[in-house]
Amino acid sequence: MNLRIISANLVVKLLNFSREKTTMFFVIAFPIILILLFGTIFMSQDNMEYHLCVQDLDQTKSSKESIKALEVNGNFKITMVDPSVNATQYVRENKVNLVLIIPKGLEKSLTRRKFFNDFQTSVTITYIYDPSSSSVSTKMDILNGVLAGVNQELSGMPPFIKSVKKSILTKKYRFIEFFVPGIIAMAVMTLSLFSTVDSETELRQKGIIRKLSTTPITRTDWILSNILYQFILAVICTIAMLLVSYAVFHVSLHIDAWLPAFILLDVFAFVGIGMILTRFAREAQSAAAAANAVSLPMMFLSGSFFPIELMPGFLQKFAKILPLFYVNEGLRAAMIFEDNMAALRDAAIISVFAAVVFILGIIATKWEEDK
Amino acid sequence: MAKETEYAIEVERLTKRYGDLLAVNDISFTVSKGEVFAFLGPNGAGKTTTVEVIETIRTPTSGKVTLLGMDVTKKKHGIVPRIGVLPQGFNSFDRITVRETIQYYSRLFCCMNTNIDGLIELVNLKDKAKEQYKNLSGGLKQRLGIAIALVNDPEVVFLDEPTTGLDPRARREVWEVLLGLKKKGKTVFLTTHYMEEAELLADTVAIISKGKVIAMGSPGELIEHNANYLALTLKPVDGKVFEIVRKMGFEPVLDNHKNVEVRVEHAYDVQEILNVLKDAGALYLGLDVRKPNLEEVFLKLTGEALRENQPNMEPE
Repeated sequence: MNLRIISANLVVKLLNFSREKTTMFFVIAFPIILILLFGTIFMSQDNMEYHLCVQDLDQTKSSKESIKALEVNGNFKITMVDPSVNATQYVRENKVNLVLIIPKGLEKSLTRRKFFNDFQTSVTITYIYDPSSSSVSTKMDILNGVLAGVNQELSGMPPFIKSVKKSILTKKYRFIEFFVPGIIAMAVMTLSLFSTVDSETELRQKGIIRKLSTTPITRTDWILSNILYQFILAVICTIAMLLVSYAVFHVSLHIDAWLPAFILLDVFAFVGIGMILTRFAREAQSAAAAANAVSLPMMFLSGSFFPIELMPGFLQKFAKILPLFYVNEGLRAAMIFEDNMAALRDAAIISVFAAVVFILGIIATKWEEDK
Repeated sequence: MAKETEYAIEVERLTKRYGDLLAVNDISFTVSKGEVFAFLGPNGAGKTTTVEVIETIRTPTSGKVTLLGMDVTKKKHGIVPRIGVLPQGFNSFDRITVRETIQYYSRLFCCMNTNIDGLIELVNLKDKAKEQYKNLSGGLKQRLGIAIALVNDPEVVFLDEPTTGLDPRARREVWEVLLGLKKKGKTVFLTTHYMEEAELLADTVAIISKGKVIAMGSPGELIEHNANYLALTLKPVDGKVFEIVRKMGFEPVLDNHKNVEVRVEHAYDVQEILNVLKDAGALYLGLDVRKPNLEEVFLKLTGEALRENQPNMEPE
């Protein structure tokens, strides 16, 4: 290992990178766009307000109070539908997915129930809905919850089972805070994998590797300088993502030594995979296709974008053999839960994986032509 | 330890196979220190395979190759700092300038005292020193490649087809740089399929065809031994000249421009033909007498042309 050679190689790679605007865009701007895009989506989900159409056929004080209760308890934005229109036709014509109909006689029935203790009296609330809409079932679930509360209150008895929410976290976190570590892990993976595959195949095809093989630079020098280069890019990319996350979404994340440690392990693991892919897919196009085949399942199945608990059981098991899963878990353990033991366990797993693929990558990287 | 030898390169019974393909077939030759050695042959003859074995990039199937007294299969680390290589189809990092590229390769060789400006001047790239590689023309790229091959002040310089793909002007510019190396007394191993290049630059030429060295010597020796004749070309007014020369016992041929071409063994044969034509009153508008070149030597030895489309070009 020759530090002078490694630093010479690193300087050339960084100079080349600083003058390549497209690469700079994909390294820095693209992850920021992802953060902004998904951050905006998830922030709005955290403060989700559903739109609800209500047709009040009773037109009494009680029906108006009920609608107000729905607005407050169900976090709905209410639109009133004229009692004279046909609700089914209204759903079709106005492209809304749900109209709730308060029947005529609500106040009268309520009075009989509350003041005359007529427990046989009831009213039926009707949902006119479009089953092809994905959010309509969520709305109906919320409405059913609100109605169950009203029924409970009318029964005059305290509920037998009560529930209380206790977070495992000391602070209240939003989804964006869970999302940012996943995006960091995913961006570093993509950067390390594609950058290695692209640059190795390009340099091989252009004959630069052949020229380098006639100089004193060794495979180890070359690979170590490549790792350093990828690590520097990954750190730049991570800082950019964190700055945007703090500035725009005011995220609250714990930053300590685990962050650079996991970035380095992420780089080692995926540079190693990149080197192996380059060995077997020598043309730039086939190497890029192979890198896509590796990165896409990692992206969507390892919990970068959404928790793996949302996936079917067999996919959850599959996720646990993906290296990016452990980077995601480790970063979340360190940045959200501040759980050093969990971070250490994930770091150990990804370290073993990184060491194995990195050694295989070194073996797979050939300076000399086919013998 | 490297043993002292008068030869920079010694190749003994070198064979290189790629599966069923026999690229280099049992060839032997030596290159003396300080000479310019040209490996001349058509595409696919085995030139690059041979040079890459000598440069330690490829491993021979059999045979022994010694470079500066060291076995190329065992002493890569000893050999590499002492050689400079311009590989075929040289390329470099697109967005790195000429000066930065030379500095980079100099650092790879851990050369503290490389005269970067001197190298830039040697290859005549002074006004392009701050230009990025991707903006250089083909000729300028090759000249940069030659400068890089010299960053470690190598004892042996390998130039693999340094002018292939260049236009005539760029080719001449590269030749000027190579003539500069020759003056400096560097051992240069040049592979080319341009006979003008070999004739102009080389002290020794080895002709390779289908993986075999079929002739070797100085350009003059090769021509002397393999094409010992004079080529007389006459531009006749009518068909009389052709008939008279044929009747004299020679074997004239008509070229595409209806010129009469005759190969003769001695200078006095030319004189005799001209005298007979004069006596017979046969008229011609011009004549040319020249010695054959390496192209014709190659054609005679192999029955094939060096290149499919030969540019009409003469060296300076």
